[in-house]
Amino acid sequence: MTAILTIKDIRGGYTEADILNGISMEVSRGEIVAIVGPNGAGKSTVMKAVFGLLKIRGGSIDFLGTDITGWSPNHIVQAGICYVPQVENIFTEMTVQENLEMGAFLRRGDLSAAYDRIYGLFPDLVSKRQVVSGSLSGGQRQMLAMGRALMLDPKVLLLDEPTAGLSPKYMEQIFQISRNIRDTGVAILLVEQHAKQALAFSDRGYILVAGTNRHHGTGQDLLTDHSVAEMFLGG
Amino acid sequence: MDIISAFNYPVYLAIFICIYGCLAIGLNVQWGFAGLFNAGIAGFFAVGAYTTSILTSSDLPDRLGGFDLPVPVGILGAMILSGIVAWPVGKICLRFRGDYLAIVTIGFAEVVRLVVRSEHWLTGSTSGISNVPRPFGNLPYTQAQIAYLALTGGILFVAYLLIECQSVSPWGRIMRAIRDNEGAAAAMGKNIPFRRLQAFILGATLMGLGGALYAHLNRGVTPDAIDPMIASFLIWIMVILGGSGNNRGVLLGVMIVWIIWSASELMTDQLPTEIALQAKYGRIFLIGLMLQIVLRFRPEGLLPEPLSELRIRENKDSPPRDTVS
Amino acid sequence: MMFLDLANFYLIPGIVMGSIYAIGAIGITLVFSIMRHTNLAHGDMATFGAFSALALFSAIGISPYLVLPLATVIVGFLSIVIDWIFYEHLRNKPKILTTISSLGVGLMLRSVVQIIWGVNTTAYVTGINKPYKILGLKVKSTEIITLGVSAALVIILILFLNRNRWGKAMRAMSNSPDLALISGIDNRKVVALTWFVVGVLCCCAGFFLGINTELKSMMGWNILLPTIAAAILGGIGRIEGALVGGLIIGLIEEMSLMVIPAEYKAASSFVVLLLVLLLRPTGFFRSKII
Repeated sequence: MTAILTIKDIRGGYTEADILNGISMEVSRGEIVAIVGPNGAGKSTVMKAVFGLLKIRGGSIDFLGTDITGWSPNHIVQAGICYVPQVENIFTEMTVQENLEMGAFLRRGDLSAAYDRIYGLFPDLVSKRQVVSGSLSGGQRQMLAMGRALMLDPKVLLLDEPTAGLSPKYMEQIFQISRNIRDTGVAILLVEQHAKQALAFSDRGYILVAGTNRHHGTGQDLLTDHSVAEMFLGG
Repeated sequence: MDIISAFNYPVYLAIFICIYGCLAIGLNVQWGFAGLFNAGIAGFFAVGAYTTSILTSSDLPDRLGGFDLPVPVGILGAMILSGIVAWPVGKICLRFRGDYLAIVTIGFAEVVRLVVRSEHWLTGSTSGISNVPRPFGNLPYTQAQIAYLALTGGILFVAYLLIECQSVSPWGRIMRAIRDNEGAAAAMGKNIPFRRLQAFILGATLMGLGGALYAHLNRGVTPDAIDPMIASFLIWIMVILGGSGNNRGVLLGVMIVWIIWSASELMTDQLPTEIALQAKYGRIFLIGLMLQIVLRFRPEGLLPEPLSELRIRENKDSPPRDTVS
Repeated sequence: MMFLDLANFYLIPGIVMGSIYAIGAIGITLVFSIMRHTNLAHGDMATFGAFSALALFSAIGISPYLVLPLATVIVGFLSIVIDWIFYEHLRNKPKILTTISSLGVGLMLRSVVQIIWGVNTTAYVTGINKPYKILGLKVKSTEIITLGVSAALVIILILFLNRNRWGKAMRAMSNSPDLALISGIDNRKVVALTWFVVGVLCCCAGFFLGINTELKSMMGWNILLPTIAAAILGGIGRIEGALVGGLIIGLIEEMSLMVIPAEYKAASSFVVLLLVLLLRPTGFFRSKII
């Protein structure tokens, strides 16, 4: 499998200080890749770097053969990468349907096929179409946030802690939906606090420590690797 | 004779620099140290000017006051009353984000303007208050000017020293901490609205002082003396150009801006009278433009506050965040 | 008869002024919710709009209403240009700096008006505008047109914000600028669009103020405080709030004449503003942003 998104030796941060000190990773079509690691390792920062929300001082980000380092977010969205931040990921003052419409802002014309696809992936949202999204439950919000990001048919979906604060039931549901999305050919790169669960359901994983990637391998390998388990996964 | 009159103009300029210096240091306490945007400087200036005029002028039948009190009492009264009127203004606004203080201080200045123009029994309405005593007013002109310069210069120097001491004291450090990182200061248990109110009132008393010195210089005050926006703007530019947060920078800003402003007046006076109106408003246009230019090219000022460069850089890099209260 | 007097002397002028404040307050609220600062140049922008309509009218003639659309477009683009020159570089700095800058822009606009058109009061059309009598109510044609156009503007704007793709993008950016950016919405285009809409509203407010009262260089500065008070009273960020707030402020100002001297009419909205800040800072319609 060839990688569609290649991050090569990225360095950068929000201000003068670097948070990322040379991160490299690859994501291929139709796989789920998890980024795990201790707090402050720069997990979410990697996503922001990909999405053009960070000052990048070194390295490159390649997407389908094009160097997208330093592109502005709306160009990156246009290219086919969509991002779901951990917080503030829905327009709380707008209805569910309007949220999805904003997700497809860059696409003109008839959106009904896209709506059908999203409501097919997230049946829970169907009855909420005209509801102001601020009144949704935590799990429904996360689904809407993912739905919004999928409206443009991205090739890569970035999920920042999609299960933070959710009940185990919703967590399982989000994981299942992520697999369904992967099976439609979308590559998913996600950051997770729940390292064990994330590695168990992902195809591959990267373990980040202090702004560099320390280990990588298939989810199962990382889970069974003793040194990894002891150091980062709490034994 | 010519030598003396050539000497008179710089002295006259210097007196105004001292008066504006008081106003600018007052604003620096509010904006430079505490980050409070007071858009109604002219209101506090007017309160000071009228208070001392009422207290120290001689009696008139149809108007309050004419208490004939000594000048120091008048000046002190001006400062106290400016501080007192600042209290409710600050009390109401300082709980909210900065824009609200700007809006309410604009309103305050407008209300002061209305009162000054309408309440004849208090302010003499359009004719204003005259026969306000002038310290050393009995001396010949040149000596009187020099003596008044010495007086205002002395007062400015004392005000500068006191504020300088305040700003390096723990009080000053707390103010800066609140300005730069409100969340952290609150987490340390600092009572932020109260501290801000202190700075706001302290600044207002200095503005009242400036107003009082102005009234005594002119032996009176009229509503035309307080064109609200122009006075406020000049002081804004003085503080931002000089370097908000740094008193020495602010005084430098006062000198530069006042000299440019006066020179531009000398120049427009040479123009034919047909375009005098255009020239007057052209100068006002330039004040607005000057503020924009300073904000664009030198927002930290000519003599920046130590460490403030770091502050500006941080603000630039961090994502825009609004203070939500 | 009592009611008719009340209506003729206070209610009708109050509602007319109120609709002018409402148009202005909607602009204030739009700038606040999308650019996140208070536009203190708002009033002077309205003055500029009123005088550009005057210039166009004296050049083209026929009717002042005919040149209004052209004037609104001019002020709309002027707003965008002002944003590019003076506000854009301050976007990522503390918002108070943009507020300060807007106060300076207001001063500059006002002095431009004073340089070009002078400081004397003037009018679009001279002569007496005789009121119509409808069931004892005296209404002037200018007042009917003011109310009609204001209502139309509000309806068009609400439809635009709720039905149009770009209108929804404006709401999205007001709700969460970061997420709007991530969704591929070009924030800069939304900002420019917002300034255009604000310029149009400003120009209409100034024009109708001029046609119902008189034109002078301070006219816009004088309505700045009541306009902002209306926006805060309604709840910053709420279009419907700005509308109701404007009408209330207009009515209070006119009714205040029953109890206070005319010189202090301008202070009544300031008192309302203070009361709102003291008692209910989020306004009637629960502001989304304070």
